[in-house]
Amino acid sequence: MSTGGGTQNTVQKLPLEGIRVIDFTAVWAGPHVTQWLAVMGAEVIKIESRLRPDMIRAYWNLQSTGHSINSEFAEFNYGKKGCTLNMTQPRAREIVRELVGISDVVTENFGGAVMDRWGLGYAELAAIKPDIIMYAGSGFGRTGPYKEFPAFAGIAEAFAGLCHLNGYPGGDPRPMATFGYADVTSAEHGALAILAALHHREETGEGQYIDLSMTEVVSSLLFQPIMDYTMNGRVQGRQGNRDSVMAPHSCYRCRGDDEWVAIAVSSDEEWRSFCDAMGNPAWTGDERFRDALGRWRNQDELDALIGDWTRNHAHYEVAEMLQRVGVMAGPSLKMEEVIQDRHLRERGFHLDVDQPGLGTWCLAALPWRLSDVPPGNYEHAPELGEHNEYVFGELLSMSAEEIARLEEEQVIY
Amino acid sequence: MSLQALSGLKVVEWSEFVSGPYCGKLLADLGADVIKVERPSFGDRARRCGPFPEGIPHLEKSGLFLYLNTNKLGVTLNVESASGAQLLKELIKQADILVQNNPPRYLDELELDYEHLKNVSPRLLMTSIAPFGQTGPYRDYKSCNLISFHTSGIAFVNPSDGVDDTEAKPPLQGPEHQAGLLAGLSAAIGTMSAVFAQQMTGLGQHVDLSEQEALASITRRELAVYAVEGMGWTRLKGSQPGMASDIYQCSDGRVYLICFHDRTWESWLEVMGNPEWAYSELFLDIATRRENWDAAKVMIEEFTREHTVDEILRATEPRRIPCKPVNTAKQLVESELLAERDFFAEVGHKEAGNVKFPGAPCKLSETPWSVQRPAPLLGEHNEEVYCGRLGYTRQDLVRLRAGGVI
Repeated sequence: MSTGGGTQNTVQKLPLEGIRVIDFTAVWAGPHVTQWLAVMGAEVIKIESRLRPDMIRAYWNLQSTGHSINSEFAEFNYGKKGCTLNMTQPRAREIVRELVGISDVVTENFGGAVMDRWGLGYAELAAIKPDIIMYAGSGFGRTGPYKEFPAFAGIAEAFAGLCHLNGYPGGDPRPMATFGYADVTSAEHGALAILAALHHREETGEGQYIDLSMTEVVSSLLFQPIMDYTMNGRVQGRQGNRDSVMAPHSCYRCRGDDEWVAIAVSSDEEWRSFCDAMGNPAWTGDERFRDALGRWRNQDELDALIGDWTRNHAHYEVAEMLQRVGVMAGPSLKMEEVIQDRHLRERGFHLDVDQPGLGTWCLAALPWRLSDVPPGNYEHAPELGEHNEYVFGELLSMSAEEIARLEEEQVIY
Repeated sequence: MSLQALSGLKVVEWSEFVSGPYCGKLLADLGADVIKVERPSFGDRARRCGPFPEGIPHLEKSGLFLYLNTNKLGVTLNVESASGAQLLKELIKQADILVQNNPPRYLDELELDYEHLKNVSPRLLMTSIAPFGQTGPYRDYKSCNLISFHTSGIAFVNPSDGVDDTEAKPPLQGPEHQAGLLAGLSAAIGTMSAVFAQQMTGLGQHVDLSEQEALASITRRELAVYAVEGMGWTRLKGSQPGMASDIYQCSDGRVYLICFHDRTWESWLEVMGNPEWAYSELFLDIATRRENWDAAKVMIEEFTREHTVDEILRATEPRRIPCKPVNTAKQLVESELLAERDFFAEVGHKEAGNVKFPGAPCKLSETPWSVQRPAPLLGEHNEEVYCGRLGYTRQDLVRLRAGGVI
């Protein structure tokens, strides 16, 4: 890993080239961690079994395609290699030990101490490879009263206080959008921790164990309401689209079907520009809206009046009009609009991934752009056991006969 | 003090509010040496944001600032002055990494964008965080938490359990600051990957982070299912395929309960004392349950309303039915689980006193997270940095201060 000398050529290698990850993760949170590593060039070997494939493979239209991949699986697992090992068999666990010996990172997010029960806990893995980095993702941590509980994003979010803060003012706590807020935030903290551990290993030769609790990750992101409580005993509630300081600050109905625009005004100057953009209707001269405090106090009426104006326009139109004069505004994008949005398209956020036998799929990239590094490893997501030949034949130098025997014995299975 | 994970990495953080500072904090908390550059007198605008002790604004007591700027050295610098820009470049020359979240056009105007700075330091790893990134039609758009959530698509599918009336219930932003935090977190990953890239080539790098993309990445499941399967996902009830998990009212609070799947459904029926209604053909298997879930919810809640959160937890935990309380900040701080996990940290600060806030987001066994120093006072380390590291004298500092440079 020494420097490449004085040439100023654009780098062809990806940052994590040469790093190998043995990946036991499944569903969303775990695979998203290793997805980051894979896109950055690490060789991620996903270990599944025909007895126990990643459960996401079983969602959506599997029967009709005859493939073991659907869009959701691909969205979290592109860039990775896949092999099958029936972990109920002792021989399979031996094979894993061999793989660990030639790897850098092992990842898992089982609901409980499964790795320990397989004799593949951190102590055992470190005995095989002292500088191994092991990542364990869970709902509540690998220590503590809930260490055997499976992880669910919604549960972690509820416990961590996110649901309490999410919802309409005067309404009930609501589960957070998408099924992945806790999953993605945890996964990113996990990826960061692994990169930090790899960096430390570069400097010192020392590996380590990473214990990540989804609940703790989400709680740490909610430090502000937590501190309002520890400092002042105040329990914050739901604000909906409103803000504790800015007004107007909300989401307004536009002309099209279920079409909305978000607008936020943070200064008197922006307010004046906003009024100008609207053509200075008479109501903007109202005493009550003259200053920030007045606008904040009379938000209900202000929002209704603004809504009367936005209703005559399309959301992109309002956003462009207001941004042109320096006012914060943005269309509230539907899924299809996120996919078609010209800015995201130009930025390369949407990928065309060729899934063999299934076609070219539009999948989301990662928010990862480096200037002098290729865009990333966005190879297709693996079919179940797609890379068995590579993992067992090439990496572990097993003969074709041996592999066939192990398949028959349902070890490679 | 033993080595921390990122000991030896030198960072200059020229950023304010949430996204840049969170990126800087993540690196600092893992042991990187981080110098935070703030405007003289005014400082990071987060200093003006609460929570404040007793609600009294004070530049040195902002909870937002105190949390986001642990483990950093703080200096003041007026980058808009020629001398200030020069000082910034000197700081950068001594650093490996620059983290900044200024508007792209502002950097262009000051000639402190990557194209210029890489001439100052060819090895520089520069991480730029902006609402819509450094390129593209929205590059110069102004933004905040609200705008980021709505332009990422997340708002449109929030809340995830759906609403009956999409006219009355608009798309919903996420809680305060989450957008900036996500951006900072993604930026920290990008920054570390640039460190690795540099080990291979010795070259500098510009990391271009878009807050919109950082959030849109969270909707990847919905995006894929729409783009490939053609299944539309909105906040209208019934349009969300997938797990029907829910929040239920108890006598003294609420729980989040997932009892939908076959195994957990049967166990949950046990908890409810096997009521007759549950054996109707409306709820017999997962498919019919999905169709009639609203009706099931009403009946389930009739049961939970008669019990405390604690009773429900004691019944569901041994049966491994996923169920946990919908906590407020108070319950989180008082949580036995988090206490046992040693989750909270208490840090002494010169002006704010003892402040309690979340500790490590995850636990590293050999290089644990720690607070070596609290968030800096405004300009607290001017002497240590300008004199100690750049070789200026105290008299120089007096002159620089008088000239409005620091």
